[in-house]
Amino acid sequence: MAQGHAVKRYSGLMDWLTTVDHKKIGILYLIAGGFFFLVGGLEALLIRIQLWKPLNDFVSADTYNELITMHGTTMIFLAAMPMLFALMNAVVPLQIGARDVAFPFVNALGFWTFFFGAVLLNVSWFTSTGAPAAGWTAYAPLSGPAFSTGHGMDYYVLGLQIAGIGTLIGGINFLVTIINMRAPGMTFMRMPLFTWTSFITSALILFAFPALAVGLAALMFDRVFDANFFDPNNGGNAVLWEHIFWIFGHPEVYILILPAFGVISEVISTFSRKRLFGYSSMVFATILIGFLGFMVWAHHMFTTGLGPVANALFSIATMLIAVPTGIKIFNWIFTMWGGSIKFTSANLYAVGFIPTFVMGGVTGVMLAAAPADFQYHDTYFVVAHFHYVIVGGLILGIFSGLHYWWPKMFGRILNETLGKWTFWIFYIGFHLTFFIQHFLGLLGMPRRIWTYLDGLGFNEMNLISTIGAIMMGIGTIMFILNVVITNAKPQNAADDPWEDGRTLEWTIPSPPPEYNFKQTPLVRGYDAYWKEKMDGHKGMTPAEPIGSIHMPSPSILPFTMSLGLFITGFGLMYSRDWTFITEHIGFYVAGLGLLITFGSMFLRSVYDDHGFHIEPEELEDKGVKA
Amino acid sequence: MSTHSHAEGHLPHEPEKATLEGRNKVLGFWLFLGGETVLFGTLFSAFLALRHQVLDGPQPSELFKLSLVAAATAILLTSSLTSVFAIQALHNHNVKALINWLIVTVVLGLGFLGLEIYEFYHYVHEGHGFTTSAFSSSFYTLVGFHGAHVAFGIFWISSIIGQLMKKGLTVVTAPKVYVAGMYWHFIDVVWVFIFTVVYLMGKVV
Amino acid sequence: MASNHSTAEDQRPVRHNSEGPKKHIIAFIFSILLTLVAFAAVAAGEINKSFIYIIIMGCAMLQVFVQMAFWMHMKDRGHLFATVGILMGVFIAFTCIIMAEYWVWW
Repeated sequence: MAQGHAVKRYSGLMDWLTTVDHKKIGILYLIAGGFFFLVGGLEALLIRIQLWKPLNDFVSADTYNELITMHGTTMIFLAAMPMLFALMNAVVPLQIGARDVAFPFVNALGFWTFFFGAVLLNVSWFTSTGAPAAGWTAYAPLSGPAFSTGHGMDYYVLGLQIAGIGTLIGGINFLVTIINMRAPGMTFMRMPLFTWTSFITSALILFAFPALAVGLAALMFDRVFDANFFDPNNGGNAVLWEHIFWIFGHPEVYILILPAFGVISEVISTFSRKRLFGYSSMVFATILIGFLGFMVWAHHMFTTGLGPVANALFSIATMLIAVPTGIKIFNWIFTMWGGSIKFTSANLYAVGFIPTFVMGGVTGVMLAAAPADFQYHDTYFVVAHFHYVIVGGLILGIFSGLHYWWPKMFGRILNETLGKWTFWIFYIGFHLTFFIQHFLGLLGMPRRIWTYLDGLGFNEMNLISTIGAIMMGIGTIMFILNVVITNAKPQNAADDPWEDGRTLEWTIPSPPPEYNFKQTPLVRGYDAYWKEKMDGHKGMTPAEPIGSIHMPSPSILPFTMSLGLFITGFGLMYSRDWTFITEHIGFYVAGLGLLITFGSMFLRSVYDDHGFHIEPEELEDKGVKA
Repeated sequence: MSTHSHAEGHLPHEPEKATLEGRNKVLGFWLFLGGETVLFGTLFSAFLALRHQVLDGPQPSELFKLSLVAAATAILLTSSLTSVFAIQALHNHNVKALINWLIVTVVLGLGFLGLEIYEFYHYVHEGHGFTTSAFSSSFYTLVGFHGAHVAFGIFWISSIIGQLMKKGLTVVTAPKVYVAGMYWHFIDVVWVFIFTVVYLMGKVV
Repeated sequence: MASNHSTAEDQRPVRHNSEGPKKHIIAFIFSILLTLVAFAAVAAGEINKSFIYIIIMGCAMLQVFVQMAFWMHMKDRGHLFATVGILMGVFIAFTCIIMAEYWVWW
């Protein structure tokens, strides 16, 4: 099949729109996620500016509701998840010694579906009825048609639905990749911890997102087709929404934090020059956290009135999660103990993560005590808690991972001096912003309020919190500056730029060629590359002779399929409003969108993708260049 | 490995698992069905929570006709069996029998869908509309999601029949057939719970 | 139609194992019987309500088990992750049912 080269190779923008290469998709996820991180961050800054003094009127109350809703939704679904997917795409196939993911086409589809969902959600800012304003949890009946009369919540249900489909299929892709595509010798108990946590996270995505899909579909039916799921006047039930949302929502929290655990494990082990302490207990703890994550959702609903039995059950289940998490914390500390630690930027973020996350965990156990939760509920104590685990856990983990794998992704090491400055400014800013909010909450400041009266003792703490938020903003800008500066430097990172790389991704060029491994490596133990180094070898033993490598062809269909869903979302939303040309024109638009999506699916099914081959001679050429 | 190196008749016994792509597809689809289980589980939970909120609409016990449901069940169950026969024909590399069994499956699926559309039409005339009550909304959503799955399956299997006619049975088409068969069984399994939970339990007063 | 010729087909060289239509037809008859029992239990009426619930849910679960084991080959080798995936899905679906039955109220 040497004629396979006939396949079209695109360049420029078309290359990015049609790529099925997991490394490029990782970069796309990073750009999109990074952009929405800035959007969400800007919303956060506006919230903090509004709250810096009592009775401020920097933004209107309605705008404030839109800001908090979009800040939460954007940060969770459009910033954190895609940035994790960026790291997973860039690293997981390399760590298991795979040439590609299991479903390169589906991987691209996952990205574009997420992207169009995210864009749809944010288009709401530019409409006359504004952005969604019922909180990121969209509790009914506030989110229903009676109280959210504009189109804001329509954008929420449809945008998240579409983005959620993308996340779900991305998760399935990683599950199958990790199960089926591992290199010879890479048994499950030899997989790097980041791969393990990505695996468990993907499993949680698979089982949690369908629940969200049903909840959003039901809410959409309520809003667009006058269904009665959550409308108490017609027999619906508002508590049902809370349950469905949190049956998805709590696993979502672990979906976010587990890959960060994985990053921290890799970084701390590498920069301590030590094998990860208690590897098998780490794996076990990850699985246990993932499993327990499905049985604690009602701890978000203690004050709803579930009754003492349910509250006690969920309280105990929640506290149980502290056990595997504690195992992880101790394992990280023991990994560092006696190691020759290098405090690179990546490691600073990782080490900074540990105490921060412990604090978030401790307030988590406090909140898990149901009677005490009646006091904390809906105060800034809760806000402080989840920002400690999400920013102090997840975002520090992502920054750590970005600094660590940046040379692998882009072939350039981020500026270390600037990186360390960024860390300290962001880290101090973070603690200034959120540590003080614990006390605001204990003093009784409710969350989600637009403003507060003078003389309640909230003034100074809110001012400090706002100053901290500005520092975090400066830190983020410094990181972007670092990216820009680094991008101007030559692309000269070594294969193993940290010199202490332990896992397979450091055995190949930075950035890797599109086929990743010229020869599939033979894995002889945990920390595969480190083991070879200790045995005095320069690289991995290949598991196969050099041969022709089969690659999937690029395709525009993932883009058009997702575009179809985007159009469908628009049509459904405005099915009542648009009356030009004919009544119900919105439904025709929605139908057109579905036609594009299913038509693309049909084309994909009917025309076989034969892909193309990279021949051994070409491999040699590229080997010289790299 | 090139897809054309297998001439027909030299296919391995289980051609759907002959290539890594095929094995990936089958495993990925199993996992997808795990996610679908949660999807229908959530739909069932919403229905169970809301099924007594009938308001002014007709009670399920007066509304449902067991004879219609029994007919639909028999049709879907039989179509599940015919899709098993299709997979057997796939393993025997008998393309003709495979296509025929798939056509039978699609026809039975169309029969089921026709009954369901008639049923919904009938209910709406009885005053059981989508917006009547929380019970009716959750009923139509649960049963309608299942019906939409059946409709998608019909289109999907039809497209595969066309591909089999054009391309024959290869290591590329075989996983598609196998996976569509799994999907069809899953739809049948969901229906078993729908007729039990929605219709039979609705009939018990 | 294939059932009558199963012995003749066994002679064909491409057949490697004993996968015959017989056990699938038995599974089908079993499924039909379970369905009939469930319908009959409801049609009979006048029995204790929760007793009927137990019978028809038992029939449904048994039928699904038979179909997944035989028709979807879940009992065969190499289905570890398939089984784990389905069981996890069933477990969470079951959690949702518990939620709806016990923790939703008006």
